Amino acid sequence: MKKILIMGGKLFLITAIASILLGFVDSFTEPVIKARKARELKEALTSLIPEGKPGKLVPVSGNSVVPGYYNVKKDGKLLGYILDLRGTGYGGELKILAGYKRNGEIIAVKLMDNEETPGLGKKAEKPEYMKKFIGTGGKKAVPVRKGMLSRKDADAVTGASITFMGLANALDTGSKFVKNLRSKP
Amino acid sequence: MKEPSIIEEFLKGIYRENPIFVIVLGLCPTLAVSTQVVNALGMGAGVIFVLLGSNFFVSLLRNFIPEKIRIPAYIVIIASFVTVVDLFMQAYSPSLSKSLGVFVQLIVVNCIILGRAEAFAKKNTVARSVLDGLGMGVGFTLALILIALIREVLGAGTITLFPMGSFSGVIKIPILVSAPVRVMGLAAGALLVIGYLKAFFNWLDVKGKEKKINSRIRKSQSPQKVSV
Repeated sequence: MKKILIMGGKLFLITAIASILLGFVDSFTEPVIKARKARELKEALTSLIPEGKPGKLVPVSGNSVVPGYYNVKKDGKLLGYILDLRGTGYGGELKILAGYKRNGEIIAVKLMDNEETPGLGKKAEKPEYMKKFIGTGGKKAVPVRKGMLSRKDADAVTGASITFMGLANALDTGSKFVKNLRSKP
Repeated sequence: MKEPSIIEEFLKGIYRENPIFVIVLGLCPTLAVSTQVVNALGMGAGVIFVLLGSNFFVSLLRNFIPEKIRIPAYIVIIASFVTVVDLFMQAYSPSLSKSLGVFVQLIVVNCIILGRAEAFAKKNTVARSVLDGLGMGVGFTLALILIALIREVLGAGTITLFPMGSFSGVIKIPILVSAPVRVMGLAAGALLVIGYLKAFFNWLDVKGKEKKINSRIRKSQSPQKVSV
């Protein structure tokens, strides 16, 4: 019994010291990380629809793909929407920001936080990657299967099909969401 | 047995006991992050830091930690250092943190680190453990860079380093960049490269031993010749 208590006590001591040290490091890095994330979000929002000004986040309840969206206005006129989207990638959740015209057409897409494989799925963070989605969602359907892409684009997603599907499905759902928004009064 | 010299304690991790090619530990992150040279450098730096910290503390506390609970104690020490690395990368090097993704956190379960704590640091002095950690970390990093270099050059036709000033950080290799051997960038390519490199180092090792044996035979034969 005494032995167990000593062991437990020693382990507790190690974990306690470790937690104190980590708390100390975290108090330094947390504000830096927070400021960076806020700046990144702001940059991403303005880069998606540069002509307009995004408003405050409008939360959407009961939608697992679209947890919220921003109205983008210019001189009081609604230009379109920026949707906060959640997709499922190879490494887990994909956080996506996408700008849509009022008819559901995709203007620009940016992949935010994700856990995709470096060198494969991570390539989707590059702006060129998203070109295949831009202009779709309105008259043209969002390419949700590899077969709907041009040969060159299909080659580019080889090795990271799951990332592509996750992105495409989220963007497609987003487009439908925007079309629904318009039909509402 | 004679104690190895201090320099040897450091050097053994680089070649003779290289964690990837000789001990074959920590292959999972090796497969995953060796797609680009810059990832290899970042991952290597993280592993060196964690190895140094964990070897130092495991060795320092080797008489304090009871044998029965050593593994949880080591894990707490290792996980703390990994969290420090992760937080610092997120705060001060976000692009590296982004491209390494979950593999920074996964350093916790990297076998090299627990392996060195268990096989070396818990029975050696602090100074030797730190040198061992440094050597193993550098050996791991060099091996990772070698694998990443081969994979990135063949698989993507580029060499990605840190962007500095006007240099974008990406060196493009003509011909290969337009027609890369894409399999090298995928998991299968990683296994192929590691396999061939391991074979190559084994061959070097065997050749070195043969040379030694041959020279010893020659030495032992030559005086006989004289006597005949």
